Amino acid sequence: MQASDQPITQDAPTADRTEPQAQVKRKVTFQCRNLTVELGSSEGATCICRSVNFDVREGEFISIMGRSGSGKTTLLRILGGLLAPTPDSSVRYYGERVEGPPPGVITVFQNYAASLLPWRTVEKNVALGLEGKVGREEARERVADALAMVGLGKRAKDYPWRLSGGMQQRVQLARALAMRPSVLLMDEPFGALDAMTKTSLQDELLQVYERTGATVVFVTHDIDEALYLSDRVLVLQGDPSTIGESLPVHCSRPRHQIETKQSEGFLALRRKVYEAIMQRHE
Amino acid sequence: MSSRSRRLGRVNWPGLLTLALLAGAWEATVRWSLLDYQYLPAPSAIARGARTLLASGELIPNVLHTLMVTLIGWSIASVIGIGLGLLLGLSPTAYRYSMTSFEVTKAIPPITFVPATLLIFGFSLRMELVIVVYVGVWPVLINTIGGVRGVPGELLDLGRMLHMSSWTRVRKLIVPAAVPEILVGLRLGLTLCLVLAVVAEMVGNPAGLGHALVRAQQALQPEKMFAYVLSAGVLGITLNALFRSAASWMLPPPAGGPEGGTP
Repeated sequence: MQASDQPITQDAPTADRTEPQAQVKRKVTFQCRNLTVELGSSEGATCICRSVNFDVREGEFISIMGRSGSGKTTLLRILGGLLAPTPDSSVRYYGERVEGPPPGVITVFQNYAASLLPWRTVEKNVALGLEGKVGREEARERVADALAMVGLGKRAKDYPWRLSGGMQQRVQLARALAMRPSVLLMDEPFGALDAMTKTSLQDELLQVYERTGATVVFVTHDIDEALYLSDRVLVLQGDPSTIGESLPVHCSRPRHQIETKQSEGFLALRRKVYEAIMQRHE
Repeated sequence: MSSRSRRLGRVNWPGLLTLALLAGAWEATVRWSLLDYQYLPAPSAIARGARTLLASGELIPNVLHTLMVTLIGWSIASVIGIGLGLLLGLSPTAYRYSMTSFEVTKAIPPITFVPATLLIFGFSLRMELVIVVYVGVWPVLINTIGGVRGVPGELLDLGRMLHMSSWTRVRKLIVPAAVPEILVGLRLGLTLCLVLAVVAEMVGNPAGLGHALVRAQQALQPEKMFAYVLSAGVLGITLNALFRSAASWMLPPPAGGPEGGTP
């Protein structure tokens, strides 16, 4: 496969105008311009993404999709300040250049088993980021709130390895929520879970999203999941990849697992996203 | 279930039966002269030898000496191994500069240093301790480095994302994540320390089980010699069992390694 020399750069702002809920222009949370990523290996650098441009607006729920290897996770790591793009790229968080994890931005990792601490109980896992930063009383309150929000109030004293996969991922979400984040970066958080657990966690995430007003950037390879959750879906295309499509999702909230997913608008979008992902750049 | 009956339930009775049968077979072959060597005693003779040693007060001091040297040497080795292991595991520079030396040194069987140590330190307790510490450092060092360097990337990302200081990251994420591997190293080290303590006593320091064993051999007293051999075995099993229960008390089950059977 040959990489296209002229990357398609559909910009996010054009899509925003059509967004139903955004009557007032919301602040830009993340601004990525000319974002290029090269990952080094022993055989030299491989270019993962080239000239990626997009904005994430405050309070927006945005999903990033693409074939495997298209750099979805890499993009998320860059937003989270865990990986640096090439020097001529520009990534800004509320106008500030991202160098290291920005304040208020919390990542939820796909591999919950590796990112929870098995030697700590559920509540102590959730409290991890608060230790030494807020007072003991406040920490206790925040942990209790976060666990209640994901429905794990009764398992606070358990160890994470005694919980099911879905519950462990809830613990990780609670750990993020306890930090009162303004942005949640989620890297295929439900990818390893069975279908039933997945749908109930999607609904819980939407409730959390409504209640906290956080901005969410969500990476997934499940089209239904991306459309069901998001205000907008970005599709990465090509190799090295760039943003091929930026599709707004005009489905009203609150959403419903059956009704939303069977609505005409949803099905039409589903087809569009599928075609966008499968498209090859010759 | 009471803790007592649970402990009885955990004893591997079929395994003990096999052991008893083997001892019985040994007894029978020696008694009926199927195995006829002048210096091969039957288990009953060894038991008599052990009783004589206990009564004369020779056994306990020798066991205590070996136990003491093993534990002191192992403690020193563990402190060095964990300290150095953390340094090398955490600092890529230290790792790069020292790994070649370690690989080369590690390849030399520690037992080959015994004569050299004897030459340098003479017939002394110090000689025995040097050998025991040296052999005990390796597994602890290597497992500590492996444990620290093997910490999953997610945990390192987590520490950065939560804006932890590097000291907090080491204390709250890296070291606890490395504990299971460090414990494996400590356990291997303990076994090796006991073995090399006995070896050092055989050739160098005139004290403890190793020395007593060789003396019994030279005095042509096989019952006593085998009694010392078995004592070293019992000492090894006891130390191992104590270590396991201490480790399982320290760790929650999943990180405590695979389910252990009875020794």
